[in-house]
Amino acid sequence: MNKRIGLLAGLTLSLSVVLAQNKPKPEDVQTFTLKNGMKFMVLEDHSIPNANFYSFWKVGSRNEVHGITGLSHFFEHMMFNGAKKYGPKQFDRVMEANGGSNNAYTTENTTVYTDWFQSGALETIFDLEGDRIRDLAIDSAMVESERGVVLSERSTGLENSNYRVISELVQSVAFVEHPYMFPVIGFESDIKKWTQADLETYFKTYYSPNNAVAVVVGDVTPAQVKKFAEQYLETIPAQKLPDSLRTVEPAQNGERRATTYKDVATPNILLAYHTPATKHPDYYALDLLSGILSTGNSSRLVKSLVLDSTIASRVSANVELSFDPSLFSIYAIAASGISAEQLEKSVLNQVNKVINDGITDVELQKLKNQKLMEFYRTMETINGKANSLGTYELYFGDYRKLYEAPSLYEKVTKEAIQRVAKTYLTARNRTVGYLLPEPKTNPARNN
Amino acid sequence: MCIGLNKTLLMRYIALIFTALLMAGSSLAQTFKVPPYQKFKLKNGLTVYLMEQHEVPLINVSTVFDAGAVQDGNRYGLANMSADALLFGSSKYTKSQLEEKTEYVGASIDTYAGKEVAKLSASFAVKDQDLLFDIIQDVMTKPTFDQAEFDKYKQRQLLQLTQQKESPRSVVNSYFNQFMYAGHPYANPLTGTPTAVSAVAAGDARQFYQKNYTTDRAAIAIVGDFNTAAMKKRITDLFGSWKTASATSPALTEPSLSFAGSRVLLVNKDDARETTFLIGGKGIRQSSPDFIPVTVVNTILGGRFTSWLNDALRVNSGLTYGAGSRFGTYRQSGTFAISTFTKVSTTTQAIDMALQVLDSLHRTGIDEKTLTSAKNYVKADFPPRYESATELANLLTDMFSLGFDESFINNFQKNVDGLTVARTRQIIDQYFPKNNLQFVLIGKADTIRDKVKKYGTITEKEIKTDGF
Repeated sequence: MNKRIGLLAGLTLSLSVVLAQNKPKPEDVQTFTLKNGMKFMVLEDHSIPNANFYSFWKVGSRNEVHGITGLSHFFEHMMFNGAKKYGPKQFDRVMEANGGSNNAYTTENTTVYTDWFQSGALETIFDLEGDRIRDLAIDSAMVESERGVVLSERSTGLENSNYRVISELVQSVAFVEHPYMFPVIGFESDIKKWTQADLETYFKTYYSPNNAVAVVVGDVTPAQVKKFAEQYLETIPAQKLPDSLRTVEPAQNGERRATTYKDVATPNILLAYHTPATKHPDYYALDLLSGILSTGNSSRLVKSLVLDSTIASRVSANVELSFDPSLFSIYAIAASGISAEQLEKSVLNQVNKVINDGITDVELQKLKNQKLMEFYRTMETINGKANSLGTYELYFGDYRKLYEAPSLYEKVTKEAIQRVAKTYLTARNRTVGYLLPEPKTNPARNN
Repeated sequence: MCIGLNKTLLMRYIALIFTALLMAGSSLAQTFKVPPYQKFKLKNGLTVYLMEQHEVPLINVSTVFDAGAVQDGNRYGLANMSADALLFGSSKYTKSQLEEKTEYVGASIDTYAGKEVAKLSASFAVKDQDLLFDIIQDVMTKPTFDQAEFDKYKQRQLLQLTQQKESPRSVVNSYFNQFMYAGHPYANPLTGTPTAVSAVAAGDARQFYQKNYTTDRAAIAIVGDFNTAAMKKRITDLFGSWKTASATSPALTEPSLSFAGSRVLLVNKDDARETTFLIGGKGIRQSSPDFIPVTVVNTILGGRFTSWLNDALRVNSGLTYGAGSRFGTYRQSGTFAISTFTKVSTTTQAIDMALQVLDSLHRTGIDEKTLTSAKNYVKADFPPRYESATELANLLTDMFSLGFDESFINNFQKNVDGLTVARTRQIIDQYFPKNNLQFVLIGKADTIRDKVKKYGTITEKEIKTDGF
């Protein structure tokens, strides 16, 4: 759940009205595209003497197949393990010594690299990025130790997060054809067996500059960024990009259920419904619907199941950002003494109320107001700005959609929210996962 | 289901703990200074900080009280529950009304208790300030501690205490804290224990509030889009006539943290796939004059991705997803700890390696090049911590509760730069534990017991047993 970039998706509403003072506008963003097809967005912000460099690569676990699951994420790690000019360990050492730090994240759709630095290090950052994008060295000794790191990452996720356990299960059942069925981290058996050739092929296929978008925000000028981009990145040759993903998940035609067990205090449940890709116009209504269900203590699910009764100890709804049709999900953890079935029934009661009776004007306006405040808080920091610009460019097709989001949310009506609930949150379109406490006696006979 | 997988989730996590404790103690870039602010005291003793920030039309509030878990006595969890219960209703608003009104305008009000202080923070649009200031005043000065809401909340807390033990990472620090500070209020587990929490009633929270939420040891900071003169009048009108008891709790004594030998606390978790562990000893207090040098040296040992611990345990050997070290500081004391995890079968390999890295710090010390790199890292990492108005409001109340002023921040870069290689040798000798280390391990006891005996005298606990 960490770093789910969906957080930044919901920007918002009447922002054109309230941002009178410092109204962000698309013209604040300077863009250019290098000859090799790598696109840049630059936004100046001199409030602190720092800047960042975010690169968004259009590769994630949706590009994987059996045998190489988890490879996108593994690549995210290997990108730090040495290239031609800067050998193993040097990327991090040089960056940190120059007042920079970094991280990266991988999702089903994208791999994103994030560098944060004192603005004087801008050229060093371009030098480091250029080296690894052009000449990544896939050193076999590094591959072996990094394999151990990723196995530990997988293990610690499953050890410490029940959500991780149940979401991987539901994902694997909700999708029967599309690669969204794979966990981003990959299958354990695949992690142990990737070959050098798999890695080399993957790099050649996806790490071409025309498959990336970069964002630089902070104490820099567009002219500086352009100069360094041309100097360090423009000569990296473009390659032919792979054909777009062929597999289309067929419509689900009947509820699917799956159960797993762990030593947990109370049952966890996850309900997932197929929904369209982010570019579909219904995204905005679905996003507001998730907020009406679970954002804040006055939201429907939290108030009715966690606060006013003792059915659940936690509940949250979420709609994915995705290139292909994905899932709208509701995750809930039962309160003491509540069974998974009771919890599921209570969640569905609330969902059905939206479907049957719709929502109120107050709820809709509340969500719009919250989106606006979220937007301010995002735009308060250089990292919030950088991640939002890249996210909109990739998932919504254009960074300017970030600035149009207000009017698009504004158009969402109560009726639209009821309609999307009715259309997508159906039993036939649903996958239900249970994570249950280990049966105390004779597990073979339980259920 | 879009789970983002990070290169360095743990490092960020470690860094967060580290900086939360250091807050003002990291690094400063070239031109970073605390923006100007006004500070004054109301007649009732409440200290007020006002800082104008006009970048976005928001107002942020942070208030701090001397009402942390060290005031729990043996009623573990009381401070935490009292802070949470502040939002369960006030003279004018029921709990639901507070939530509905606040959420409707997209504002937020949060309360929390830490080990030493409790805070209330809020963020809202300028246009909603009349409503939000009214709510904040009512919540802070006239909370009702509604019994029915409190009882439901208590049930949720009890379940949470059980659930948190499903994740070793979320409880290993509580075990360590108890192991290090046993018998001292710093050992008090913040969220309490099931037995103690069961015994707390709404009236106890009210009494705790009356005793510890006192204006003479409190501060309120407002940062955002306002005019200082007008805000001064507003805050004076809102809180000037607030009468509370006087604070009575004495300052804590300094715990000794001297150990006669190495000890191992082995916490059994039957279904563990890995061993989660901390290795530590005595650290420094928040006000240590050597806070900055210790921070810089620790950055090299375990405070960043290229730190020696992460390099050895992750990058070179693939034993773990992340390893680091931190100094956790309180007003009167502090601890040092190395922190990581590894699969069950490599438990001693990882522990031995961590010990070797700590030993190498003592044996070889730090060279000029490494020190320069760490200084640059620490300095550049600093300004983003105070980029938003929320962060600045928090900084001001931290200055109040931890007893430092803006010179600490404004001189930070200079003080980082002033650290010499020769001085790092003294810092290592004086502050980085070497002998009589204290180990806390959460994992499969039957599998690792015999192998970890060599580290010290073993005490065992079951993870499902009450408390830590």
